[in-house]
Amino acid sequence: MRLIRVGMFALLAALGATAVAAVQAGAPAATVIAIPPLTSPDSGTKGNQSLAIAWQATQLIETDLRQTSELMPLKPNQKDYYSYPEVTAPTFSKWRDRGAKALITGFVQQRSDGRLTVGCYVYDVDKGRELGRIGFVATPSDLRRAAHKCSGLAYQSITGAPGMFDTKIAYVAETGPSEVRVKRIAIMDSDGYNHSYVTSGGTGVLTPRLSPNASKLAYVSFQGGVPQVRVIDLASNQQHPLLSGNAMSFAPRFSPDGSKIVFSMMLGPNTDIYVVGADGGPARRLTTSPGIDTDPSFSPDGSKIVFESDRSGSQQLYVMNADGSDERRITFSVAAYSTPEWSPDGKSIAFTWRSGDTRRIGIIAPDGTGERLLTNGPGDEAPSWAASSQELVFQHAEANGRPGIYRVSLDGSAPRKMTIPQDGSDPDWSGTVD
Amino acid sequence: MMRRTLLLIATLIAFPASAQVLPFLKKYPPAGPPGQPAPVVPGMQAPIEVLRADFAAQSGGTSVYFAAGRAQLTQQARNLLSAQALWLRQHPFVPVRIEGHGDPTDTRDHALALGAERAEEARDYLILLGVPAAQVTTMTWGKERPGPPAAVTTLVQ
Repeated sequence: MRLIRVGMFALLAALGATAVAAVQAGAPAATVIAIPPLTSPDSGTKGNQSLAIAWQATQLIETDLRQTSELMPLKPNQKDYYSYPEVTAPTFSKWRDRGAKALITGFVQQRSDGRLTVGCYVYDVDKGRELGRIGFVATPSDLRRAAHKCSGLAYQSITGAPGMFDTKIAYVAETGPSEVRVKRIAIMDSDGYNHSYVTSGGTGVLTPRLSPNASKLAYVSFQGGVPQVRVIDLASNQQHPLLSGNAMSFAPRFSPDGSKIVFSMMLGPNTDIYVVGADGGPARRLTTSPGIDTDPSFSPDGSKIVFESDRSGSQQLYVMNADGSDERRITFSVAAYSTPEWSPDGKSIAFTWRSGDTRRIGIIAPDGTGERLLTNGPGDEAPSWAASSQELVFQHAEANGRPGIYRVSLDGSAPRKMTIPQDGSDPDWSGTVD
Repeated sequence: MMRRTLLLIATLIAFPASAQVLPFLKKYPPAGPPGQPAPVVPGMQAPIEVLRADFAAQSGGTSVYFAAGRAQLTQQARNLLSAQALWLRQHPFVPVRIEGHGDPTDTRDHALALGAERAEEARDYLILLGVPAAQVTTMTWGKERPGPPAAVTTLVQ
């Protein structure tokens, strides 16, 4: 599963990419983007094979972009075939006439070692200007990831935010009746591919949290009798308890640089927030108030932490400095607010809103303004941000009470159910995989 | 042995335990006065299932219940824990684990912590009533098991 980014473009110019004028802050209209079928420099039988692979990649890119609310892909049409030299010299007027503001071109070339060279270019159609380019050498089985990288380039060139196409989602796979539920940690690509189980189901598990580049996973296990945080290295599958000792620890989350884990620990009657190196070591206590302080989440620059506390009598959200100083409450309502997660762009905090038996997903600015509920519940929980900061994954209880994994966009459209092999809970969305 | 155990449990269920003098209980030395630990006689333990049934019957139940979102013990909970404490002081060689449960509609991590608080509250009260601290451990299920918010005292092997 290695994707080698190459400097194959002899003319790799300074990109100087700027966002396409069509997308302005506060302008909800999606940018129309043309994706004519990727081409190939190969000829003969090999050329036909390459074009077939290129067509697959084209469709993968279209599927990726169609999942966003910021980009609106024109359906790729094989009649719009272009030659290899036109990859870097497209006919802009043709796409302008079809209403496209942006264009993706690219190629697939078969190498003598059996691998593929994949290149993608993104253009501003109105200005006739290149916004970005990216190239890879990939095994045929990694074509999907190469296509995801092209989608990510297009998304980032146009919206300015990182795409969420080459990202992973970890969650708790649930099977069996409610009295003896079997729970396993599962990981999949954000489009549902490459689904695999990380734990075997012999002991109860909760709340998987991926490190920012999805190389490690922290989760809570009942293996030691009480819930405790464990960390898995996903490449080697080695795992270890985060802390020594018998104290109950839970609600882990990585820092944005992956070097630290912030979590809750119960010592005596008090549940407080602590921070520790991602490989363990001495933990440092950050909160001291009586009551339950939990679900901490770092701001993307690592300088602040949002968490929930019931110190006021009900669960509310608080923001503090990463060293525990300057705690400030940001929600003031009769409803309860819990499971905050700071968005990758730093502008929003997602949370679970609870009133009576109803739980819904919402967002709020870090200064406590602009609160907005995104879902209707009644059994929604545990939102986690996409790298784009435009979408959330969360847990939703179906009418029969069983949990499923859903995605919801900030644009106000209806949540969409993700296809997974069984019930699922506690989803966590990683940043972009290297 | 299995058949005998089942028979004993059936007897316990059929009659108020206090009215019965069960064969295996006769072997126990009498409990000491309050404040003094009962003498420990190793090797005299009845099967765990029998002890569990006796504990539940003598105490009036294994579970104490809580108001939603709260970890404070109700008067009813204290009464039940007092009865549990009496039994536990008579059986100091039987370790117990108190399993706390959160509210089913709470969010996952808060439910975990609240369940742990409930278990700790129950344990603290048992200790206050003279049960040796080492006899009682706690854990939490959060909202991982269906059922009402409770702390359940479970005899462990």
